[in-house]
Amino acid sequence: MTDHGYEILSLDDLDRVPYRGSGEVLRPLRKRLGFRPFGVNVWTADAAGDKLIPPHEEDSGHEELYVVVRGTARFTVADETFDAPAGTLVHVKSGTFRVATAAEPATSILVAGGKEGEAFAPGGWEDVHVAFALLEAGNAAAGRAIMQEAATPDEYLWGKHYNLACYEAMAGETEAAFEELRAAIELNRDEVLKWLPHDTDLDPLRGDPRFEELAP
Amino acid sequence: MTVTHVDQLDAIEMPDGFVWHPIRRYFDIRAFGVNAYSALEVGGQIVEEHTENQLGHEEIYLVLRGRALFTVDGNEHELGAGQLVFLRDPQLRRGAVALDEDTVVLALGGKPGEAHVVSAWEAMFAAVPYSRQENWDEAIRIHVEALVEQPEHPALLYNLACMEARGGRHLDALLHLQRAVELDPKWADYARKDSDFAAIISEPGFPA
Repeated sequence: MTDHGYEILSLDDLDRVPYRGSGEVLRPLRKRLGFRPFGVNVWTADAAGDKLIPPHEEDSGHEELYVVVRGTARFTVADETFDAPAGTLVHVKSGTFRVATAAEPATSILVAGGKEGEAFAPGGWEDVHVAFALLEAGNAAAGRAIMQEAATPDEYLWGKHYNLACYEAMAGETEAAFEELRAAIELNRDEVLKWLPHDTDLDPLRGDPRFEELAP
Repeated sequence: MTVTHVDQLDAIEMPDGFVWHPIRRYFDIRAFGVNAYSALEVGGQIVEEHTENQLGHEEIYLVLRGRALFTVDGNEHELGAGQLVFLRDPQLRRGAVALDEDTVVLALGGKPGEAHVVSAWEAMFAAVPYSRQENWDEAIRIHVEALVEQPEHPALLYNLACMEARGGRHLDALLHLQRAVELDPKWADYARKDSDFAAIISEPGFPA
């Protein structure tokens, strides 16, 4: 942001953040700008066939608009698959499965999302991916700071602690990982126990008697 | 799921010369504002000169295709495809002209910290082609539909009154104009000089 209250930016200048677990490339536009009214990000794929939009159903209640900015994307929404060249607009409501890959090299999609009737509050998911990218790049302290400072809605505080537990486990900070895991369980035991048995981020903790106590 | 292409959206030529392609309205998006704009010719207006003082929106303008010359707070910036300008300060005057044929700009906007409210200007813009055709019934219908969500919006009431006056619905026009003036007295000044009200300016009850 300039001192003048506005900023000029190229999408090419955005960071490239690997999306954990599935390999898409997130370009965190909202965070970069400090944009506050709703969610907006960019996803890019370098080669045809690369993953572009992670598979999900957006159970947050957000409606989303996908704008193909460059190249051509191959979307699957519900059970329909179609190619979407630059300039295509795809509107998907919450609860509908969607995924996209690149059908051409250098494809980019801008995604805007928000929930009708509610002021936007960042869910913190972008921070998780940025932080883990920093961890993988060897900068655990910077990633941890981002995770700890991430704005989080009250109802998702358990998730913030859970993600920090994953982060600390992957960072080799076992004591801190257990501390965060206990905090998450205290806030939402049922939800944590859904994830705990199969979350590979927590593999470094498995075999520790404390883990068995938390997830008998 | 609904899919379209920016070139398949309505292209509504506005009196100031730019062309509005209504995206939010097409999809009935309720959570945020989003539209596209093009120009009639190279050098023509593509983003109207305005501030966001009234709505308090933060805005992003992304050039989807071609090139545009943006003027923000008096500073000129040439932007190509894939470049954007983000305006946090609603007081900044902003506008743009197209530098290439076929330039398209995507605009995204909303007010921080508040649930999105559909901007009243969308209905006014959407009614423009019908006003041009003197299809007052359709222009009135679009305004009435918008007023269901924002019944006390003075500008919408004023514009509705204009359409009604032109469409021969003089009593409705007077009532809506009176309500607009009650909500914001500045509309009385506008009304006195507005040729849309020629048919009712002498009627009793016309805001003096």
